[in-house]
Amino acid sequence: MTLTELELDALVEVFNVGVGQAASALSQLAGDTVRLNVPKVEMLTKQGVSSELTAQGAGRICAVKQEFSGVLNTEAVLMFPVQQSLQLVQMMVGDDVPLEQLGEMEQEALAEIGNILLNSVVSGVADVLKLRFEGSLPCVALGPVQDVLGAQGSLDDMVLSLQIDFAIDALEIQGFLVFMLDVESVASLKSTVRAFLESLS
Amino acid sequence: MNAPLTPGCDCPPWSAWVLDHLQLGLLVLDAEQRVVFANRWFLQHTGLTAPALLQRQLDEVFEQLKGSAFLYSLTQAVASGFPTLLSQTLHPAPFPLYLSAAQRDQDKLLRQSIRIIPAGLSQVGSMDQRYTFIQITDVTQSVMRERLLKAQASKLKALANVDVLTGLGNRRLLDDSLPQLVRLVGKQGAALSLVMFDIDYFKQFNDTYGHLAGDDCLRQVAGVLRQVFRRPADLVVRFGGEELVAVLPETELDDALALANQVLQQVRDLAIVNAGSRVAKVVTLSAGVAVLQPGTASTPMNLLQQVDQVMYAAKSAGRNQVCWQPEAQ
Repeated sequence: MTLTELELDALVEVFNVGVGQAASALSQLAGDTVRLNVPKVEMLTKQGVSSELTAQGAGRICAVKQEFSGVLNTEAVLMFPVQQSLQLVQMMVGDDVPLEQLGEMEQEALAEIGNILLNSVVSGVADVLKLRFEGSLPCVALGPVQDVLGAQGSLDDMVLSLQIDFAIDALEIQGFLVFMLDVESVASLKSTVRAFLESLS
Repeated sequence: MNAPLTPGCDCPPWSAWVLDHLQLGLLVLDAEQRVVFANRWFLQHTGLTAPALLQRQLDEVFEQLKGSAFLYSLTQAVASGFPTLLSQTLHPAPFPLYLSAAQRDQDKLLRQSIRIIPAGLSQVGSMDQRYTFIQITDVTQSVMRERLLKAQASKLKALANVDVLTGLGNRRLLDDSLPQLVRLVGKQGAALSLVMFDIDYFKQFNDTYGHLAGDDCLRQVAGVLRQVFRRPADLVVRFGGEELVAVLPETELDDALALANQVLQQVRDLAIVNAGSRVAKVVTLSAGVAVLQPGTASTPMNLLQQVDQVMYAAKSAGRNQVCWQPEAQ
């Protein structure tokens, strides 16, 4: 089972509401305007996401993971190429010194940034689609894309994948957010989005 | 002195004792965000008593929280129901927590890692209202440890660029710095001079007086270079065995030549006897100077080759002198 173009387009709108909230929270934290945009939403296999990231030269990634449960259960994984995650933390901290690696404290800062983004995105979805979720605290994972994504299940599993563009000052960073969904969760997502689309017409 | 747990609750007999001995701060807020519980760790580290906190909003008790990112996050967390993390890096110390009352007047705030956890949908059912708890971990030690590690890392990095024998920079430092200095010539429009020095008849010196004496001779010559090339931007390195190189940004040929001749003179003045020398009774140097003018294209490699060639020209011309090449091509 997968989602139609129309359903995915609707999700692009819904996700952009969520990242809008995240952008204002992150701007406040950075003391600078943070712009976020979700240009596309796709259904891909984990392998597909992994290939896309690897094609961009992101062998090793830094991920922030959170679980959400309710009508549908999902693990949300926000991923950045390691180099970009360093830039992101540096920008948010407002530090001039380039970071060489993510220490314990920088990882925690990244977890906070991811937490703000994931909570806002999922709240946005919950508000628009009239769903209720429970969430977990974020945790950080570092490693090759396959290892981070393939920790559970198989690489053939379908995921809902969002590209998220960050812009802070002159810096532009691309992140990927995937929602791991089991078959039942894809089905309930599909029926929720359909009901939403019908409510609009 | 602590807030009693909800009277008549069926919680286990040890729960109050456990909460009170947790080595982290714990606050419970009711649906109106009023404090209904603060554990002993939190009270001890804020120096407050339970009555000063209970039934009050956090920003009434802690003025500094008004308009803070912490309060914003708390409001967001309660509204969304999602657990929220506040990192030490982005919010070092939202609460006025100190190790002991004695340190209150010093700047010894504990570094804090904070988690805000609103009761989930499944728990709210068994509660009279939606509570939120705040967990505060003292991460001061981790912050100190990371700071120490970073300091050590930069120290090691600096050490990796030092020549152990002379205390000058080493070849690695030259290789790392020269490309940038060559690029700056075009950017700043100022000439870059390179001077390469070589100790004359050093092999004979070592054969005659032994390698330890040779090491000492090198150290003394290095001392002269350090003394002559002392502008902050000057870079002096041991290039190889008895070859030393000075890289002089914003320096024209005349000045570089004058400085090189000054080094040669001061080394002769050291009057280190070298019976193996055929040009003098004491240790002398040969030197080559190459200059990179703005507008000329060159690479660090070319520049080093040129300065090496002019230094050998000084050797061929009879040693104990400075040779130069006016412009690096």
